[in-house]
Amino acid sequence: MFLRDVYPKALWDARRSLPGWTLAIAAVALMYAAFWPTVNSPEMADALAAYPDGVLAAFNSGDLGTAQGYLGGAVYGLLVPLLVAVFMIAAGARAVAGDEEAGTLDLVLAHPVSRRGLALQRLGAAMTGMAVVAVVLFALLVALRAPFELETVTVGGFLAMNVQLALFGAMFGALAFAVGAATGSKSLALGVSAGVAVLAYLANSVFPQVAALGWTRNVSPFHWYLGGEPLTNGLQWGGVAALAGTTVVLAAVGVLRFGRRDIGG
Amino acid sequence: MADLAISTQDLVKTYGRGTRGLAGLDLEVRTNEVYGYLGPNGAGKSTTIRILLDLIRATSGTVRVLGLDPRADGVALRRRIGYLAGDFVVDGRQTSRQLLTYLGNLRGGVPAARIAELADRLDLDLDRQIRGLSKGNRQKAGVIQAFMHSPELLVLDEPTSGLDPFLQQEFVRLVQEAQREGATVFMSSHVMSEVQHTADRVGIIRDGRLVAVESVESLRAHAVRSVTLTFDGGFDAADFARVPGFSDLTVAGPTLRGRLAGHTDELVKAASRYTVRDLLCEEPDLEEIFFHYYARPEADHVPA
Repeated sequence: MFLRDVYPKALWDARRSLPGWTLAIAAVALMYAAFWPTVNSPEMADALAAYPDGVLAAFNSGDLGTAQGYLGGAVYGLLVPLLVAVFMIAAGARAVAGDEEAGTLDLVLAHPVSRRGLALQRLGAAMTGMAVVAVVLFALLVALRAPFELETVTVGGFLAMNVQLALFGAMFGALAFAVGAATGSKSLALGVSAGVAVLAYLANSVFPQVAALGWTRNVSPFHWYLGGEPLTNGLQWGGVAALAGTTVVLAAVGVLRFGRRDIGG
Repeated sequence: MADLAISTQDLVKTYGRGTRGLAGLDLEVRTNEVYGYLGPNGAGKSTTIRILLDLIRATSGTVRVLGLDPRADGVALRRRIGYLAGDFVVDGRQTSRQLLTYLGNLRGGVPAARIAELADRLDLDLDRQIRGLSKGNRQKAGVIQAFMHSPELLVLDEPTSGLDPFLQQEFVRLVQEAQREGATVFMSSHVMSEVQHTADRVGIIRDGRLVAVESVESLRAHAVRSVTLTFDGGFDAADFARVPGFSDLTVAGPTLRGRLAGHTDELVKAASRYTVRDLLCEEPDLEEIFFHYYARPEADHVPA
């Protein structure tokens, strides 16, 4: 049944990598979440007070005294989005450009498959992977709320955080997909997307420490994802709209360009 | 025109930086013929094939394949085409059965029995991972995917490069069967021998233009064959020097060797005066004629 069409085949091809990524991202998130009872102690609070605010802000860890602040900083603020970005950039670059560079795209396109259909189905499979990661992460954290002493974070807060995480990953997946689909170059897709990810991180956490660069935060996908503290305040519609809108635009550009250009070979 | 499976008019493809792929190609492939598309590497063979499949788009000119425009009706058209590239590459982390089932499903399903039958003929183990297969065995999977849905048009890009003689023979049979069942076959190659057993006509492409189209039969008729006659007793070489088209005569004892262009009739009649112990007439070397076309300057076009 997985061999029926391009979309299920793309999922089938990810049958080993997707569980691997899901496991890795969940393991990192849970490991850090498990430290929370230890971090939440007077000794730790004193130790952290010794760090300058700028350093903590640079690691998205402004408020380590609450469960929301700790999770939003150490877990959802740094390592998880980093891993998710890498995971989705790789998936997006592979969707079209990876196949094209390997020389295996010709064969499928010589079949009765439309360019747009193929691109959308491959991108859809990458997005499905992102959804799986976010759902598993959400389910595990909700299930482990009590043992990890994270009850101050509501289920709604976890839901909002993981929805925004999924959109954040989707945006980087769509970016790598768009560059790859438009140019056919996997390395360009990886390079541009990784560069954007680094700039986005700096624009959210480091540049704003210079007063004149405060505006950069507003154009950073990291800010769209984290701004307004979804763990505490639920879905942040501005960020959701910015991430979803950018994803749709990038996907559309990639699909249209891919439909018009020559396939390398 | 309904009797043309492929037709192009003044097809031009220019790649970036002015590199020419095609420089005004006029191609006519008739329905149900096997057409050998010959030319040196870089002449534009793959460019032509990639345009037929809509993998790339022509800069100018028109293309019709099975009455359709590859650009506008690509999906409907490719449903009726089977395509095989000489360097058949696929993801190795799957078995041939999985690959062929998937590709068959993209075409709306190909019966498993048909795949099994072809695999049996070509002696391919469908359940081995493709990455563990030799190049020849991988190519077998490629041959099966091109033929399994019995397409109306087979587009074969240097299909037998790197195949062992057994598979080449079986491949020739598959092409002949497809033609008997009504299919048209468009086969590119840079060597004559790859297409001469199956092709009805060959077109020769050089620098993005068709420089000659001839039937294989007429190529053969004009081909130069090397002939060896061995006689019982003496003979007069002068009798043979008069045979039209017979040249480069050498005599060694009872043996006469020479090169014959055109029909064998006059030579056989000349030889019939003597007792012929042995007559050896080698297959015409079409390759030689082929190189003759390559060597021509571009201006010297032969009308199609």
